[in-house]
Amino acid sequence: MTYVIALVLGVAFGFSLNKAGLTKYHKVVNQFRLTDMAVLKFMMTALVVTMLGVYPMRALGWITFPTVPATYIVGNLAGGLLFGVGMALTGT
Amino acid sequence: MNWIMKQIRKEEWSPYAAGVLLGIVGILTVALAHALLSESGAFENLAAYIGKVISPSNMYFNYVMPAQITFPVVLMVGVFFGGMLGALSSGTFKFRTMDSEQWKKAFGKQTWKRWLLLFLGGIIVEFAAGIAGGCTSGLAISGGMLLAPAAFLFIAGMFASGIITALVIYGKKY
Repeated sequence: MTYVIALVLGVAFGFSLNKAGLTKYHKVVNQFRLTDMAVLKFMMTALVVTMLGVYPMRALGWITFPTVPATYIVGNLAGGLLFGVGMALTGT
Repeated sequence: MNWIMKQIRKEEWSPYAAGVLLGIVGILTVALAHALLSESGAFENLAAYIGKVISPSNMYFNYVMPAQITFPVVLMVGVFFGGMLGALSSGTFKFRTMDSEQWKKAFGKQTWKRWLLLFLGGIIVEFAAGIAGGCTSGLAISGGMLLAPAAFLFIAGMFASGIITALVIYGKKY
């Protein structure tokens, strides 16, 4: 059952990425050249919409949150710094 | 109904509209699957099948990223078909060699250069995701949704180095 949910969610996820244009090289790279803000608009909208959904649901006791990625300042930051290099090179 | 079909056939949505769709996916992932939208882990789970053959006692492939068909692996399969569905719905589906007009203008027409950089960049991206504990979707988006501090550290690092890298590779063409 979990696999069915994962598959359906994955399809919707991929669909949204495609429609946002994030499957295209120029969208991702131009975000870093600061000439096209689509990636940031897309990501931040998603964050806000999810927060609006999950925080009230948790407050009402309907759901619990999964374990969030661990915070280890050096690792997260160093990983992010390296990740950005790869992302700007490939545009993916 | 016609209006909905017209929207689905559009090649590109407003990033806000697509963001709302991803937001809904995010809510459902947490509520139904009690999981995160992680992607990079899937590659590691699959790589673990090979890794375990080479080094059977490897701690990382035995305990951190075991060789299993995990939630992210299935999610990744879904993302593949979802992207395909998106392209089919707008009639832009075709086999490509990862070409890009902008790339050609800036770096020349050779496809092998693009492929080489994609391969090297892919290694960097996956390795970096391993260090940080997630990728754009698994850490930045899913972590950010649940206000994990790790996500915002990652986003800060990603944009800082991404902007610098774009500045360097585009040089004067920036």
